[in-house]
Amino acid sequence: MKLLQKPWIWSWVAAVAAFGLTIALTQGRGASELGYAALSFGAFAAIVGLGQMLVITLGPGNIDLSIPASMTLAATLALKAMGAEPGSAWLGLLVALGVGLGTGLANFALIWALRLPPIIATLAASLVYQSIAIWSNRGLRIKPPEALADFATGRMAGVPNVAIVAVVLAALVWLVLERTIWGRWLLACGQNLRAARLAGVPVEAVRAATYVAVAVFASLAGYLLASFSGGAALNMGSEYLLMSIAVVVIGGTSIAGGMSNVPGVWGASLFMFLVVSMLNSYGAGAGVRMVLTGVIIIGIVIAASTRRARQ
Amino acid sequence: MNRSALLLGAVGLTMGLSGGLSGMAVADTSGKRIALSNNYAGNSWRQSMLQTFTEAGDKAVADGVVAAADAYTTSENQATEQAAQIQNMILQGYDAIILDAASPTALNGAVEEACNAGVTVVSFDGIVTAPCAWRIAVDFRGMGREQVDYLAQRLPDGGNLLEVRGLAGVFVDDELHAGITEGVAAHDQFKIAGAVHGDWAQDVAQKAVAGILPSLPDIAGVVTQGGDGYGTAQAFAAAGRDMPLIVLGNRKDELQWWADARDENGYETLSLSIAPGVATLAFWVAQQILDGKDVPKDLTVPFLKVTADTLDETLAATPDGSVANTVYTAEDADKVIAAAIAAPSENGAK
Repeated sequence: MKLLQKPWIWSWVAAVAAFGLTIALTQGRGASELGYAALSFGAFAAIVGLGQMLVITLGPGNIDLSIPASMTLAATLALKAMGAEPGSAWLGLLVALGVGLGTGLANFALIWALRLPPIIATLAASLVYQSIAIWSNRGLRIKPPEALADFATGRMAGVPNVAIVAVVLAALVWLVLERTIWGRWLLACGQNLRAARLAGVPVEAVRAATYVAVAVFASLAGYLLASFSGGAALNMGSEYLLMSIAVVVIGGTSIAGGMSNVPGVWGASLFMFLVVSMLNSYGAGAGVRMVLTGVIIIGIVIAASTRRARQ
Repeated sequence: MNRSALLLGAVGLTMGLSGGLSGMAVADTSGKRIALSNNYAGNSWRQSMLQTFTEAGDKAVADGVVAAADAYTTSENQATEQAAQIQNMILQGYDAIILDAASPTALNGAVEEACNAGVTVVSFDGIVTAPCAWRIAVDFRGMGREQVDYLAQRLPDGGNLLEVRGLAGVFVDDELHAGITEGVAAHDQFKIAGAVHGDWAQDVAQKAVAGILPSLPDIAGVVTQGGDGYGTAQAFAAAGRDMPLIVLGNRKDELQWWADARDENGYETLSLSIAPGVATLAFWVAQQILDGKDVPKDLTVPFLKVTADTLDETLAATPDGSVANTVYTAEDADKVIAAAIAAPSENGAK
């Protein structure tokens, strides 16, 4: 029973159910194929979701809407820097992470120095990042270096490499949140900013680090996604804006802040892929699919939050 | 003397009509100013369109065909913003506006204002329904039908098809889907075994196809909407499935993939889409209208098809990451206009 009270359990239950229903349709055929695809594509949602989770944990009003633009900009600049040259994967990674550092600091500068609400600051900044991405490469698609593409699409012991990266990142985030002083500060800020400040928590430093972290995560996701799908595209990040928020909420993280949930983000990322696969496999049209996805998401959120209330 | 002069004049007139239209136009439209109102720039097709328009427009200005050919893009894909942009263009005194519209109906008010102010409005790609505007529309249904016709010719025994659709709820997606449905009805050896929405993006298509593949039987062919063929191929390859016949959409990565597969195992398919250079077609149509030519209100954009014969040359001419393109000339505009005059009912029906 204790397990049922964990807010993250519901996203996992939903993911397993969606998986089971899809496989039931094919009488068990293609189970490993589907699992592999879910891990591959869930990894990108999980990486951006982890970042968004940290920001949302900061408390009401904190959100990063520049995730898609950061992903696109990082991927575009990284692939341009690598220019499909062999052996340049680390250079590309460095460029991508550098872009994340830059956009994160810029976002926080707008929020802190101009005192803009994060929604406005990150949305406005995202227009700038997107424009820089357009301007820097005019939407031209450069292939990633062969070795990097092989890594991004490859597998190790039957598990996609990108999923391994995302699981390692999730473990790191969990460790930071649960076992380090910084994680405790972050949760304290989210629960009550004023109390945290009075208790001597370096509130602004925590916020700055969090906004940088989400941008770095987004950039890394962009870099991996571009390597995975054979190049950066100007609209590559667009579906990850709602996705990043959805996986956080479905995963059982409190939207009011102060409480985060790492395993839930992964469960929700798998679910978001599997539910679409399931509805596609059953031949549901786009309208039905979107309505059902919405209803299922609401159901999971309600289930997760009532459990929390009873605790 | 008198008779021969008349004869010479007649010959000159015929020659002028048949070959030298752009030459003739120099005198009449050299003082005219044309603006492009574009609603979106966030993908490679639009980027390519803007670039082609700028190049063709600059050349036309340098040649003295028109006085100005300026491109404007709204920052958000919003009808309100584009309506304001059109109003600015009227105030700036442009003689013609060519328009890729954010909405077929929401801009009608602004378009009517432009017409009332004596401005010629030519909409293309994203067309407007205002009666006073010209429309250079894409026959998306025909494009859908043509894909299935091609598959029927290549796969006489038929089989299961996977349909990769575009963005749900968008006019273009509905039309292409209707065309494909008509095609499948006409060739009943085919069956649509599954459909996913790839949003015209490689990564989205790859994800959607990877998700549905485990539940699908053997797939003989894939019909797509452009921008999604390479992602589809990636998903098939990753799942270790036999590569079906994928109809492509002229993107460079799609064509490159085709060329690689052809070199490896003789893969052959068809690629078709609308060239971003359609903006230059709209430019020349607008120029001809300003020139006083009688142009039907409804015109149809020709498809740009890439076949096995033209693959290498198209591939070489297409920049990395872009889409196969062609720059239309005044003569191409003539042909499109002549086709519309020849078949008015077909165009009127759309």
